[in-house]
Amino acid sequence: MERTDDKRMPMAILGGELSADGEMIAAACMDGVYTLDLQSGVRKKHYTHESYARTAFWLSSNELFSTGYDGQARWFRLDSGEENRHQKLHQFWSWDAAISPDRHRYASVTGQYIAGGYKYEPAEEIEPSVVIGDCETGDVVHRLPHVPSVQAVAFSNDGRLVAAGNLMGEVRIFDIHSGDCISTISTADFTSWGIIKSHCYLGGIFALRFTPDDKSLLLAGMGPMRDPMAGNGKQLWQKWEWSSGDQSKMIDQIHDGENGEGLMEALAVHPEGTMFAMGGRLRGGDWNVALFSLETGNRLTTLKTGYRVTTLQFTDEGQSLLVMGTQGQPDHKKDGAFPDFGRIEKYRLS
Amino acid sequence: MNQPKRRSSCGSDEHTIHRRLFLQGTMAASTASVASFNGLFSVPLLAEETKRHGKKCILLWLCGAPSQFETWDPKPGTATGGPFSAIPTNLPGVHISSLMPKCATIMDKLAVIRSMSTKPSEHFQGIDALTRGDMPRPPFTRPILGSVIAEQLGQLDSPVPQFVLLDPCPEGNEFKAFKAGNWAGWLGAQYGPVRAGGDYGIPNIKQLDSISQADHSDRESLRKFFSKKYENDRRSAAAASHNAAFERVKGLMSCAPLFDMESLPQSDRERYGGGAFAQHALQARHLIENGSTFVMVANGMPWDNHVFQHEMHQMLVPELDNVLYQLISDLEQRGMLDDTLVIAMGEFGRTPWLNDARGRDHYPKAWSLAMAGGGIKGGVVHGATDAEGFEVTDGKVDNRNLFATIFTALGIDPHEDYDLPGLPTFFRVEEDAHPIKEVLV
Repeated sequence: MERTDDKRMPMAILGGELSADGEMIAAACMDGVYTLDLQSGVRKKHYTHESYARTAFWLSSNELFSTGYDGQARWFRLDSGEENRHQKLHQFWSWDAAISPDRHRYASVTGQYIAGGYKYEPAEEIEPSVVIGDCETGDVVHRLPHVPSVQAVAFSNDGRLVAAGNLMGEVRIFDIHSGDCISTISTADFTSWGIIKSHCYLGGIFALRFTPDDKSLLLAGMGPMRDPMAGNGKQLWQKWEWSSGDQSKMIDQIHDGENGEGLMEALAVHPEGTMFAMGGRLRGGDWNVALFSLETGNRLTTLKTGYRVTTLQFTDEGQSLLVMGTQGQPDHKKDGAFPDFGRIEKYRLS
Repeated sequence: MNQPKRRSSCGSDEHTIHRRLFLQGTMAASTASVASFNGLFSVPLLAEETKRHGKKCILLWLCGAPSQFETWDPKPGTATGGPFSAIPTNLPGVHISSLMPKCATIMDKLAVIRSMSTKPSEHFQGIDALTRGDMPRPPFTRPILGSVIAEQLGQLDSPVPQFVLLDPCPEGNEFKAFKAGNWAGWLGAQYGPVRAGGDYGIPNIKQLDSISQADHSDRESLRKFFSKKYENDRRSAAAASHNAAFERVKGLMSCAPLFDMESLPQSDRERYGGGAFAQHALQARHLIENGSTFVMVANGMPWDNHVFQHEMHQMLVPELDNVLYQLISDLEQRGMLDDTLVIAMGEFGRTPWLNDARGRDHYPKAWSLAMAGGGIKGGVVHGATDAEGFEVTDGKVDNRNLFATIFTALGIDPHEDYDLPGLPTFFRVEEDAHPIKEVLV
């Protein structure tokens, strides 16, 4: 992979999306929602959430949709420069959100991890953890149950399903029309009960994506370990074939010798369905972004970006990979402001 | 030559009967009736006499170091403020993290110090300084806070341990190493903590069925006589520690029901919350109610959130919020708050800036803690930090000031020197460091 673009944003980028024409980026940052013109480098902060913005999507070339740690979804029109709608989705924050391929539906997941037992088993949800709504009207269509905290969500490619993964490694797959949970996946491989520093659960599924045929799900996170707070668990992906009920089975996972250490929190599937990218934070090893064959699971190539990757996206024509994330926040100001620490890079695939 | 310590009992039949009743009661299967200090005694007056009405202390040890931004000193809307908002409290103009809605309703009972500024930036050294009150001066070992308070306010001959550490996590990285060290320092092993909770349990405190009470008592008397003689003849610290350990085990055998969490009311257990830290905070209340002087509640080192800062704090802070609320409310309802100091603190704070691993790192320069009861004035927020939490801007407090405050609140002279023959002069708090007068009743 050859780097073709390198841009900075003032604050950490927690989520974002490249516009359909490939020219603009919508970035959900700690201090609000920005756009960045990749060609000119002009960046603009358009609006804020009451806390960090977590996700940002293009509903059209003129309208942004975002969710934040304030539990809100916001709609913003670029031509008028005004927010045209907002919707309180959750009492707690939006851990992750997704937009259906046709841009008609949104899904957002929430859930506060509260100690439910002596070993810190998560308590039951106090509000529905999965919200599905209408992008045009903002209306919530479904509020669906899960076990908090639910940290990752994705739509299927046909737009009929929503998958949501949680702290404990449980994925629930919902039919977005009926709201029924039609399948579950349960894996203990992304969650640790801390032994060294903490007696509690940590980790979980931080990203998931449907494969192009919608028959399987890719899950990403960090492998189990005695001290999850060290963050040096195995860089882990798993591929699960889901089926109705609880008959889902794991069909592949990161191959021995191909992983380093770190929390993986971003996934992207190539538009041609030949490969996928996984990225996150490097703790040990020599890569924090890698491409894998969807067919064989073999690692194809790697990147060491030098910063935490929160978002990955292949361009529509499949020629490039967009990488977004954050370096550590600087520990002092320079000329009255913190130096930029949000990162956006583009890599051409060879 | 020193004489062996005389038995406190005269050996009459009456005392023998009382002693046997006492042991029968405590060795019985745990029930609520014996799971209390009074339940340990067949004669109620004896219980009242033994339960000296003094100051006590519960230390909620937040090991690993919580973030001041997500607890007592939020900076909402700033570049360093983190993702959680701030909420108003029942003190006009004072806000705390939105993760602490219950404490927001009892701020008039809390003293929050927002201007802690200490030196050590690594856990072991930080734990050492913030539990002993000063920096190390090898080869001398300063006693930990609990040991000092047990020595000053406790009763060495009480069957109930005066200094208890409740920590279900035998690990804890640097805290594990610290736990393995000498806690009582120059005060001697008899002032060290009894450790219990979760994975520890308290092993080997059940008397064997094959040994009668009288046999057990006689064997112990014989062992005590010879080992004390050995200790006195040779001035042996090792033998003294050995004896102290036996005394402690004997005490534990007699008060084992106090450590049975199952005996606590289910409604209380539910109120405090399910997690180990919360359950042991309730147990701390129970121990304090029944004769312990200092209870330290820990749970490994869960607050060290270099990674998963938000994921951990969203769970840990609400637990702390509820525990503090329940504990202080309970103590107040029982008329014990004025005599029981509750401290919630870690070894330092966390950085204003977020690292690239989703976390905050160590930051001793400007951090916060909270106290309540036991000679501490409620409704006080002492000190301040700048807009983004980098520096203390008002009322700087270091570990010595803090310990001077704690000792003063508990009625212990902070500037008194230790009586340590053959050792240099040490004071409870060195350099005449002053207490924070603003937070003292």
